[in-house]
Amino acid sequence: MTSDVQMQPPPLADLRMDADVIIIGAGPAGMSASVALAQAGRRVNVLDMQAAPGGQIFRGLEANLAAGRGATALLDALGPAYGAGAALIRAFRNTPGIDFRPRHTVWEVRRDGTVGWLHGDKAGYLRAGHVLLANGAMERPVPFPGWTLPGVMTAGAAQTLLKAGRLKPEGRVVLAGTGPLIFLLAEQLRRLGVRPVLLARTDRMRDQMAALPHLRLPAIWPVAKGLGWLARLHLARIPVMRGVTGIAALGSTHVEGVRISRGKSMSDVPCDLLIVHDGIVPSVDLAQAAGLRIGWHDALQAWQPETTVDGAAVPESGAALTDGPCRILISGDARCIGGADAAMAHGRHVAAVLLGAKGEGRDSLAKVRQTLVPRPFLDAAFPPGLSAALPTGDTLVCRCEEIPASTLVGLVQSGLHSINHIRGLTRCGMGPCQGRSCAVTLARMIAVQTGASPVPFHARPPVRPLPLQALAYLSGVDPRLAEVVSLQDKPQVMQDV
Amino acid sequence: MFVDVVPAGHSVTIHFNGSAIAAREGETVAACLLRAGVTAIRHTPVSSAPRLPYCMIGHCFECLVEIEGQGSRQACLVDVQDGMRIWPQDGAAAILNDL
Repeated sequence: MTSDVQMQPPPLADLRMDADVIIIGAGPAGMSASVALAQAGRRVNVLDMQAAPGGQIFRGLEANLAAGRGATALLDALGPAYGAGAALIRAFRNTPGIDFRPRHTVWEVRRDGTVGWLHGDKAGYLRAGHVLLANGAMERPVPFPGWTLPGVMTAGAAQTLLKAGRLKPEGRVVLAGTGPLIFLLAEQLRRLGVRPVLLARTDRMRDQMAALPHLRLPAIWPVAKGLGWLARLHLARIPVMRGVTGIAALGSTHVEGVRISRGKSMSDVPCDLLIVHDGIVPSVDLAQAAGLRIGWHDALQAWQPETTVDGAAVPESGAALTDGPCRILISGDARCIGGADAAMAHGRHVAAVLLGAKGEGRDSLAKVRQTLVPRPFLDAAFPPGLSAALPTGDTLVCRCEEIPASTLVGLVQSGLHSINHIRGLTRCGMGPCQGRSCAVTLARMIAVQTGASPVPFHARPPVRPLPLQALAYLSGVDPRLAEVVSLQDKPQVMQDV
Repeated sequence: MFVDVVPAGHSVTIHFNGSAIAAREGETVAACLLRAGVTAIRHTPVSSAPRLPYCMIGHCFECLVEIEGQGSRQACLVDVQDGMRIWPQDGAAAILNDL
């Protein structure tokens, strides 16, 4: 694409830097990287949406440990993998040089190292020599009939309510889906005296058999742990059904039951709470809006940012809001799903590489590789189930704008294969969640027709809603960086039109 | 639908839709409303369907409420504060008059 617009970025040496590195997300990856960087004397800003460090895996851990006897039963039920985050959180709190900014939502990241933040009514920009995206994962969206009904929620939500809300479900609970997390949740609930009426699994024995060739020695311990959870559920006589092919939530204003399909047979199970889970996928919202290259990962059936092993992101070709070298790195589950240990190892590795320690970088990379060894087995053993078949008919795809599958399938089958055009025509992906829940479904619908890999919506900042008042009084704006005005920053639109 | 894992002290009071709800300091608005048994945290702008929190980690935007006059606040990301006034977001968010 040629341009008649002159983009003359100012030399970065001129710009005021707020830190050496800005880290987005205070989970395992972000905390590990910031501790290592700060210990080496680097100034680090860490922004997180939550009030305390820990990420989702160690959510509420600090407060639960401080609560003393009041939270003992909860800590026992959540298990040792949860408590294991305590040392890292302590190091994060106690290392000088870490400027932790809780309750900060990031709505923009630019390749030149600029980060847009929102905190209460105030918003602004920060700038650093490097930006590390450690914004973690999200649960794979699972559009099925009735998934918007009150009383349907994700396994992650139930776990957050346990960890941070100190709340457990009551009444008739059905768990449906697959993946290690839902088994862990079932076991945690059992320890707290909650007996799910059913654990409906989409994975089949033949998935696990097919996964066996991927099993390597370092994966034995996690696999044994998982088998232990399932064995205890079995001993407690919690009903488990396997080979589930689909579910539908029943009810009009609240979930009253779940219809479970196994091939051609169907059964209805009454329930008060339906907890679903279909694995976790990287949160690519920030990477995508920053104009970084996102690829489709077939085994994971999800998008994943393209990065080097050291976490360096790859700018998408075409024009961007900023020029100059890309200063963004990605670590942890936001880079590739690996869980807390892999995230901590990779966070440390990114820090080692940034610090330029040669031998250290090699050692830390070996650790990263080791922690990722169980993934191919887990991906194959627990493949996406609830989302495997694309939704049809009245099933909502876009929760925000309430767009049913039939509308989208109709457009796609009529020959419209641009996800951005469909967004413009239907508002699918234009609600408050900005496509986080619907993009992958619509993209897969299009991919079925075109045979190409699913392509996400073109994303532009702000990726999260920003109050006008906050926008009006932005701090940290450098007029030289704000001057890029060109249709070039809409490469997707130019291409589509 | 949800109960305390261990008996918790409820030292804070919030108001949802005009009713007082006892809350635990440090919990989110979304967790508090689920424990209180609220049947809908909002009604959608398109079909007025009731919704409750879905992901609890700030991704799904299902838990949008009006807090102290400001609409479209994510209840799962806001901690309770004594005296906080919260309204269900029915339809689209209203624009503040005093901007």
